[in-house]
Amino acid sequence: MYPTEIDYHRASSIAEAIELLSQNDDAKLLAGGHSLIPAMKLRLAQPGLLIDISHLEELKSIFVSGDKISIGALATHAQIAASADVQSYAPALASAAGIVGDQQVRNWGTIGGNLAHADPASDPPTVVLAYDGVIHIQGQSGSRSVNAQDFFVDLFATALEPGEIITRIELSNSSSAKSAYVKLSHPASRYAVVGVCAVLEMNGSTCTSARVAVGGATMKAVRSPGAESVLTGSSLDDSALNAAAAAVKSDIEEFLIGDMSYPEDYRQAMAGVYLKRAVHAALGS
Amino acid sequence: MAKDPSFAVGQSIRRIDALGKVTGEAPYPGDINMDGQLWMKIRFSDRPHARVLAIDTQAAEAISGVRGIFTAKDVPVNEYGLVTKDQPVLCGPGSTIPGADVVRCYADMVAVVVADTEAIAAKAVKLIAVTYDDLPPVFDPEEAMQDGAPQIQINLPKNILCHYRIRMGDMAAGWAQSEVIVEGEYDTGYQEHAYLQPEAGLGYIDEQGRVTVIVAGQWVHEDQEQIYHALNLPPEEVRVIYPAIGGAFGGREDMSIQIVLALAAWKLRQPIKTIWSREESIQYHHKRHPIKIYARWGATRDGKIVAIESTVIGDAGPYNYTSTKVLANANLMVSGPYEVPNIHIDTYAVLTNNIPTGAFRGFGAPQGLFAAEGQMNKLAEALNIDPLELRMRNTIREGSILSVSTPLPAGVSMPEVFEACGRESYWHQTEDGRWQRNSLKQPNNPALRRGVGIAGGFKNIGFSFGFPEQNWATIELHGKMEIEQVIVRQAGAEVGQGAHTVFVQMAAEAIGVPVEKVRLIGHDTAETHTSGSASASRLTFMAGNAIRGAAAQALENWKNEERPAKATYQYRPPKTTMYDPETGKAEPNFAYGYVAQAVEVEVDTETGHIRVLRVVSTNDVGRAVNPELVQGQIEGAVVQAQGYALMENLVSVNGKIRNPFLSTYLIPTILDIPPEVKSVILEYPDPIGPWGARGMAEMPFLPLAPAIAAAVHDATGVWIDAIPLTPDRVVAALRAKGIGVF
Ligand SMILES: Cc1cc2nc3c(=O)[nH]c(=O)nc-3n(C[C@H](O)[C@H](O)[C@H](O)COP(=O)(O)OP(=O)(O)OC[C@H]3O[C@@H](n4cnc5c(N)ncnc54)[C@H](O)[C@@H]3O)c2cc1C
Repeated sequence: MYPTEIDYHRASSIAEAIELLSQNDDAKLLAGGHSLIPAMKLRLAQPGLLIDISHLEELKSIFVSGDKISIGALATHAQIAASADVQSYAPALASAAGIVGDQQVRNWGTIGGNLAHADPASDPPTVVLAYDGVIHIQGQSGSRSVNAQDFFVDLFATALEPGEIITRIELSNSSSAKSAYVKLSHPASRYAVVGVCAVLEMNGSTCTSARVAVGGATMKAVRSPGAESVLTGSSLDDSALNAAAAAVKSDIEEFLIGDMSYPEDYRQAMAGVYLKRAVHAALGS
Repeated sequence: MAKDPSFAVGQSIRRIDALGKVTGEAPYPGDINMDGQLWMKIRFSDRPHARVLAIDTQAAEAISGVRGIFTAKDVPVNEYGLVTKDQPVLCGPGSTIPGADVVRCYADMVAVVVADTEAIAAKAVKLIAVTYDDLPPVFDPEEAMQDGAPQIQINLPKNILCHYRIRMGDMAAGWAQSEVIVEGEYDTGYQEHAYLQPEAGLGYIDEQGRVTVIVAGQWVHEDQEQIYHALNLPPEEVRVIYPAIGGAFGGREDMSIQIVLALAAWKLRQPIKTIWSREESIQYHHKRHPIKIYARWGATRDGKIVAIESTVIGDAGPYNYTSTKVLANANLMVSGPYEVPNIHIDTYAVLTNNIPTGAFRGFGAPQGLFAAEGQMNKLAEALNIDPLELRMRNTIREGSILSVSTPLPAGVSMPEVFEACGRESYWHQTEDGRWQRNSLKQPNNPALRRGVGIAGGFKNIGFSFGFPEQNWATIELHGKMEIEQVIVRQAGAEVGQGAHTVFVQMAAEAIGVPVEKVRLIGHDTAETHTSGSASASRLTFMAGNAIRGAAAQALENWKNEERPAKATYQYRPPKTTMYDPETGKAEPNFAYGYVAQAVEVEVDTETGHIRVLRVVSTNDVGRAVNPELVQGQIEGAVVQAQGYALMENLVSVNGKIRNPFLSTYLIPTILDIPPEVKSVILEYPDPIGPWGARGMAEMPFLPLAPAIAAAVHDATGVWIDAIPLTPDRVVAALRAKGIGVF
């Protein structure tokens, strides 16, 4: 299907984009278009005005400042996957970005668009959540930042207010931690049927702190406090992993989603399996 | 006969249609346009079962650009169907055929709209207001067979379209002899043909005033017959032409757009075009039959099968299509390629309000063999006999009596095919001649288990069960002293399998000229006699015999100085017969092709994903007219069968297909197919095949699903008797046995 007719405006600055967005109730930002355009073709989204921000250079950069890495909202998945800084500060984000969709999707899709769209089958939200990232937002009344924990509200719903735009995503340096993202890919789209990210601080063979996030199986990216507490203090042996897997499954119970190919109970079981695989991948074992 | 061997039968010459297809020059139905053409859209049923009380077209007609709207009252003889004319062309009031006002599934058509553009037609078709009076629907064939179930067709109480019986030998004696008995309940799912080219076509009045339809199908003369019957026209006033055809697999055997395009062109006297979307294609053409099979097999300790009892229930949807034939074939195949003295089978095709089911590569054999070979593999386990060894002790051979109490036609190569399959894959023979599996290396990761499975099968070539089978070819030899050009008229459909190339090769061989001198005039009813359909693995065999016959006569005429020398020949194979209604005694077929496959899989016991690592497909093709095309058919069939076995899960809820997209109905892609498919081509000539050729295109589809199921069992110790083996189904089955659990 073709989308319905729409107006198009190429924004000359962030400020202009925000202004247009605030003035037009039915306006939408256009970044890489890889979520928005398909949604428009299916008539799931029918904006009256598209505000194209895809060329705004200031939102494309990735840089390190002190103990943080800052990723522009318009950084593409391909750019993130290839960034030496991301590979060092947040290795699981680089590897997750490298397995988003296919090469075309990675060349066009942006992290800002991905987080804003909050598709439950997306990869970056799960990883940003596990790294305890911060989302920087700008609107007519100025700038604010939201923790990833509070950013993902529901299915396709975030803490973004009307008229707001994501400018940057900021993550702390996790280069001393062991982290990994693994997913069960949908065979047609490569979207996550289940995706799990584990970020583990280690002292020798003991895990001193663990953060675990799950996506794909759930209506939004969620943390698993149960798994985190089981893993923390353990030596990540089989019995700890089995207990953590059980905890993940019960933590995500209330958020589960499913479809004809991958029903809820299957995804729930796979969250446990993929948690174990994420830990093994993080440890390189 | 003088011939250049490099141009003859047995050579992998380049396909004659290759260049056109790879350059995009070859026109497919959707590519063909005419000046002044209008566009057609179809309004399908909104209900699974309802009487159509009224169709209000006023609002649709009021749209500017709408040129015509046709409903039941406009169809002169409002019925069609390949085997039984039991489906209205358009459902609704106003036609003389009783019951034509009832929709029986969502794939029924209610109206067609013709307009200046596709967009206008699409808009108008939605504005047609249809008033329905709902009738009780039934979706489960086993419920539909019960007393008191909603009745779908006027003359079929309990919705039983056909019931075949096999009564062979003495069951009581068979069970008494049985030292080991295995039982199973097998479920096979729908399958969508998923050909590259969705339904498309153009209807118009040709320069001789004929109602003409350009479309993709499998049998031009059958399409023509269905059209002239519905329009009540003399045959010569209807013409059907096939351009390039983008795949078929049985899915184009029944009518889709043919009759309605002809109807609209006939009424409006203008060219009319239509193209279905993928979504329409998946929702509205028939599917492979889901079949439920209950099976009980008994054997002696030394591995001789002595009793088979089975009940086979196929979901036909609300109309026959080819269900009576598909289930007849399943009835024959459900005892497998084995000689067994005592057999008792009941097979039913049952009407429901689900999507119609019909022809699909294998035609009932894949379902029958899924059960038969599943039983065989279970017996091997129960008897502790190697599965190939057990097959060798029971396989059909030359002179074997089938379940239908008659011997197989000569040329049975099943034992040789099984042996070759074993040798070329994972088996060796011990010193005392027994077949034994080689040991298999397992991956280090304990979650990944590998296994090997084997299965075999056979299938008829050509139409079965008494259907009048024939094929016509005409050959003209042009030139003066030497034959300069050979013109072959042969209507057999080039559906992508390479039939046209093979026709040309066989004509070149028969006449003794290089293929460059042969020109083929194909599927156009105005230019050719009937060839029968591109189905039942029959075209090489049937057209080959017709071409041979025509060539011999044409050469004779050439010798007698006729210029051009011309001959038309009708080939008729030996007659076949239908099942005896009480005993099933029959001579169902005149020729068979034989196949066996071994497969190695890796099961991820935690996620339920099955990777097919290697397939060895052993096929007796009699004579490979073009070995590369044979290999193409084997590899294509393996991939399609892998989809059937592992991924293709068409979801129908209350008669409505819920995943009519290739993003949700998953078929194998390059990332899913096995790294290695070894095609082992055997050539044991069929005594009546042209140059010994047997048909082969369906056979490599048949055994893969049961071979995979056996390999999964070998890997995990768990039998899964329902396909597709989707990850969630596999995980559930493994967990039920305590595997892969944490
Ligand atoms: C075939 C296919 C496969 C895919 N597979 C995967 C996969 O495996 N994993 C995965 O994670 N994703 C996958 N995707 C999705 C892809 O990653 C996202 O489309 C992409 O990341 C979204 O970014 P975009 O730039 O394309 O956003 P757009 O489509 O342009 O926008 C998406 C939404 O975000 C809003 N938006 C965009 N930028 C901003 C901003 N800076 N601030 C606020 N709102 C904004 C838009 O208004 C819109 O509502 C796939 C997509 C396709 C088409």
